[in-house]
Amino acid sequence: MKAILRTESLGKYFGEMAAVHEVNLSLQEGLFTSVIGPNGAGKTTLINILSGYMLPDRGKIYFREKEITRLGPDKRVKMGISRSFQVMNIFPRMTVFQNILLPVLSRLNKTSSAFSSLQSQKEAVGEAEKILGEVWLQKEKDSRGGELSHGDQRLLELGIAVATNPQLCFLDEPSSGMNPIERIKVLELVKKLASERNTTFIIVEHDMDIVFSLSDWIVVMNRGEVLAEGKPGDIRENQEVRDIYLGEDI
Amino acid sequence: MKTRLAILILVVLLALLPAYAGKYAVYVVIHILLLSIFSLGFNLLFGYTGLLSFGQAGFYAMGAYGCAKILLAYPSLLVGIVGGVVTAGAVSLLLGFLCIRHTRIYFSMLTLSFGMMIFSLAWKWRDMTGGDDGLVGIPRAPLEIPGLFKINMAPMENYYYVVLAFAILAITLFYRIVHSPMGLAMQGIRDSETRTACIGISVRKYRLLSFTIAGLYAGLAGALLPPLESTVTPPLAHWSHSAEPVLATLLGGVHTFAGPIVGSVLFYLLKDIIVRFTEYWQLCLGIIVVVLVMGFRGGVASIFLRERGRR
Repeated sequence: MKAILRTESLGKYFGEMAAVHEVNLSLQEGLFTSVIGPNGAGKTTLINILSGYMLPDRGKIYFREKEITRLGPDKRVKMGISRSFQVMNIFPRMTVFQNILLPVLSRLNKTSSAFSSLQSQKEAVGEAEKILGEVWLQKEKDSRGGELSHGDQRLLELGIAVATNPQLCFLDEPSSGMNPIERIKVLELVKKLASERNTTFIIVEHDMDIVFSLSDWIVVMNRGEVLAEGKPGDIRENQEVRDIYLGEDI
Repeated sequence: MKTRLAILILVVLLALLPAYAGKYAVYVVIHILLLSIFSLGFNLLFGYTGLLSFGQAGFYAMGAYGCAKILLAYPSLLVGIVGGVVTAGAVSLLLGFLCIRHTRIYFSMLTLSFGMMIFSLAWKWRDMTGGDDGLVGIPRAPLEIPGLFKINMAPMENYYYVVLAFAILAITLFYRIVHSPMGLAMQGIRDSETRTACIGISVRKYRLLSFTIAGLYAGLAGALLPPLESTVTPPLAHWSHSAEPVLATLLGGVHTFAGPIVGSVLFYLLKDIIVRFTEYWQLCLGIIVVVLVMGFRGGVASIFLRERGRR
C-alpha cells in the first residue's frame, strides 16, 4: 500500500497557540481513516491545511509524492482532493441538481462556457443525475439547497464533495446534527461510496461507536499534535488515548 | 410559451414605437434602454456574483468619453460605440485585477474610490475631457460600413433603432451568460466562495470575468449616450450616477433575470413624473424607492415569478 498524502513537520500557529504542531502523517490509499480527538485538538485546522483552505506556517504536504504545500484549494481539487465542511457549506439559492451539476462541470472543465445552456451539457447532466441517486436526493432535485432538511443538506454536501470525483476526500463531521440512525446510514453511505468510487476518505467524527466500526485506521490528535495512530484495536488499547479522550468505557 | 409570446409582443411594440408615439416618448425609451443595459451589467456583478460595486458610473463614463472622442475625430457611429465599449472593458479589466482580491465592504469601497478617481480625471484633465464643460458638439454620425451601407442617424427615430438593436443584443447575451455553466459558477461564488473554491473553481478568475463583463455593459450604455445628447460631462462618472443601477436593480429584483429591466422602467418613469411636480423630486423618489424595496422584498419582478409559481 502506498501513501496518497504525506506531511512533514506541519505546523500552524495563532500567536502563542499551536493549532497544529509537528504533524508527520502518511495517509494510505484505500484505507478508511478517521481523525479523532477532544474539542480544540486541531482536527479541523489540520483538514483545512490539507485541503488548501488554510496555508501552514511550516512544514510540507505531498500528494502522491508531489508537493502541494502552497497550492490553493481549487488547484488541489483539480489534482483529486476534495472536502466537506464542519459548518454546512452548500449553495443555498441553487437547486439541489445545480448544487451537484456545478462541481461536475468544474471537473469536466466546462465552467468557462459562457453561451451554452446547462441542459446542453449532456455528459455533466447525466453524471449529476447519477450522483443525486447515489446520495438519495433524486426526489429533491428541483428544491433549493437551503430549503432541505438538515439531514438532506448533509447528504447534499457529501454529494458535492464526491461530484468532483476525488481520489482523496476529507469529510469534517459529515453526520453532525443527525440522530443516531441517520448517522449510521450516512457513514455507511460514505463507506459504500469509498468502495464504489475508489476514493480514499478521511473523516473527522465524534461518534466513537461509528469510528471504531467503520475505520481501517485512526489518527488521534491532542493539542495540535498527533498523539497516536494505528488500527482501531490498537487505539482502543492505547492507555494514553483512553486517559485523554476515550475514557475507560469504550 | 406565454413568456415568449409576451416578449415577442413587447419587441414588436418597441419596434413600432416611433410610428405611434412622439419624439419625447422615443427619447424616454432610449434612456430606459440605456439604464437597463447599465443595470443588467451591474446585476451580473451583484445579483449573480455577490459583489456590490459603487463605481460602475466610472466605466459608464469611460464608454461615453471614449465614444465621444472617437466621434469627434472620426465620425462613424459603429467605430465610436465599439471604441467606447473597448475603452470601458480595458479599464474595468485593469481595475478588476485590483478590486476582485477583496469582497464585501472592502470591494465596495475600492470600486467607489476608483469610480471617483475617474470622476476626478474627467473633471481635471481639461485637455482630454474638456473639464467641467465636458465634450460638446458630438455628432450623431451615420451608421455605415464602407462599401455596404450608410444610414443617416440625424433623425432620433433612426438612432432609436440602433439603441434598441444593441439593447436586444445585450439582453440576449446576458440571458445566455446567466443560464450557462459560467453563470452557474458565478452564482456559486455568490452563494459560497469557499465551497466554490473547494470544487475546483478559481474564484478570482470568475470574479474578474464578471467585473469585466459588467464594465463592458456599463461602457456600452455610456457609449450609446453621446450620439443622443451631443455632449458628455463629468457627472456621468459621479458616484450618485453609480447609485442608479443599484436602485433600479433593487426595485426590480436582484436575483431575477428581468429584475434590472423592470426596475429601470420603474425608476426612470418615477423620476420623470415626479420631477414635473416638485423641485424636491430626489426626496420624493427616495421615499418611493424605500417603500417599494421594503414592500416588495425580492423586487417587483418577483411578484410575477410568485404568481407563476402559484399557477
